[in-house]
Amino acid sequence: DGPYLKDYINIQSLAVSSIITLYFTDLGQQVGWTTFFLTEYTGPLLIYLLFYIRLSTIYDQRESRKNFRHPVVHLACFCHCLHYIRHLLETLFVHKLSGGHTPLKNMIKGCVFYWGFTSWIAYYINHPRYTPPSFGHRQVSFAALTFLMCEAGNHFINVALAHPSHSGLQACFPSPTYNPFTWLFLLVSCPNYTYEVGSWISFTVMTQTLPVGIFAFLMIIQMSLWAQKKHRLYLKRFYPEVRRKAAMIPIIF
Amino acid sequence: MAASGSGGSRADNGYGSQQQPRRRKGPGALATAYLVIYNVVMTAGWLVIAVGLVRAYLAKGSYHSLYYSIEKPLKFFQTGALLEEYLLIAKYLPGIVPSSVVLTAFQVMSRVFLTWAVTHSVKEVQTEDSVLLFVVAWTITEIIRYSFYTFSLLNHLPYLIKWARYTLFIILYPMGVSGELLTIYAALPFVRQSGLYSISLPNKYNFSFDYYTFLILVMISYIPIFPQLYFHMLHQRRKVLSHTEEHKKSE
Repeated sequence: DGPYLKDYINIQSLAVSSIITLYFTDLGQQVGWTTFFLTEYTGPLLIYLLFYIRLSTIYDQRESRKNFRHPVVHLACFCHCLHYIRHLLETLFVHKLSGGHTPLKNMIKGCVFYWGFTSWIAYYINHPRYTPPSFGHRQVSFAALTFLMCEAGNHFINVALAHPSHSGLQACFPSPTYNPFTWLFLLVSCPNYTYEVGSWISFTVMTQTLPVGIFAFLMIIQMSLWAQKKHRLYLKRFYPEVRRKAAMIPIIF
Repeated sequence: MAASGSGGSRADNGYGSQQQPRRRKGPGALATAYLVIYNVVMTAGWLVIAVGLVRAYLAKGSYHSLYYSIEKPLKFFQTGALLEEYLLIAKYLPGIVPSSVVLTAFQVMSRVFLTWAVTHSVKEVQTEDSVLLFVVAWTITEIIRYSFYTFSLLNHLPYLIKWARYTLFIILYPMGVSGELLTIYAALPFVRQSGLYSISLPNKYNFSFDYYTFLILVMISYIPIFPQLYFHMLHQRRKVLSHTEEHKKSE
């Protein structure tokens, strides 16, 4: 119907000289963004740990006890927790989340997706009959390294996006700094999504588990859609700088 | 920024659900020609299946094991509906009737699943009577549906066909669903025994899938979904048939 009003605008200040019409809609139950992300990320953290400690209701106890656990299982748990702890800390301390809200329905959908998939992948990785990767230590080490690099990259990008060099009308596209992880800004307009995708692909290779691959694939689709949207927004706002960049994957997309 | 960015896009999804009033353009001349041909072919196909069933019944003298006489055309024309669904989704086919894309997609997927993943894959159920139940239901429904589309496109829809489409489903739909459920249920022991389409641990890619459990979940999913579709059709019926009544009265 019309543009949305910000929360802090006083109606008196609007209706000074003209007759205005205000439209009201009931948006239904809403949650704040902070609540949204905290719930969405705490779930996977705890759920994975439940599977890691091999709760007796999930796995057969006799099998669980006698089985030797390959080190990659412990490493996977560590990496998974690291990923979500980082997300939680960033939500609390780094991101400048707008005071806006989102329908409760969206939170339920997001939680079902994340929590559901975490249960699915945690089940297989921590299963007594888990098969470690085919290429052994080399595969695990390489994947773990790329995982950590992507996590670090994601973190630095989020910090850079939260502290822009200029703000308001003079805002410009984040520029790469002395930090090598931010150099991705030269090639891509949404490097945070690039790093996120990288983390999940690394995790897939590290654990060599098909359900993780399926999850990573769905994340890629979701991140691509978001990156494309953001890229278009950037093209409108920061045309000269962003023109030659890709949205999420350098050169390709 | 990343979080609010992704949050921003989700906020749009929340807010932006205001639907634009659907401006339904009629298909152009060439598109109409293609659609008419397509619908005529599909009507003919399902008529072939119907005739095949009747002939086999008369030849055999009993209604058991009629599946084999119409196996090939059934597979061909049911799978052909997938093409139709794809065209609808990709918007190459304008919606001739205001039916929800999601609901019809669901229906087509479940039909194709039953044709290939159950009846074709589990040979032992092909002699079951429940197969005949859903084949007959589908055949009658599809003949009416495709002729409905054909006549709509030619702007010459006899009231009988419209009435049939929006009334016969009241019996045919439950009939079809019963046939489908009974067939899946009959297939269960054979799936369990042969381990059809199932992978178990341990394996290189750490994945497992139990087709037996999957089939049970499919059966359970009918419980929330079938009533929704049924009442949707009833609602459509009230809308469409009362419209015609008003039209007639106003003349």
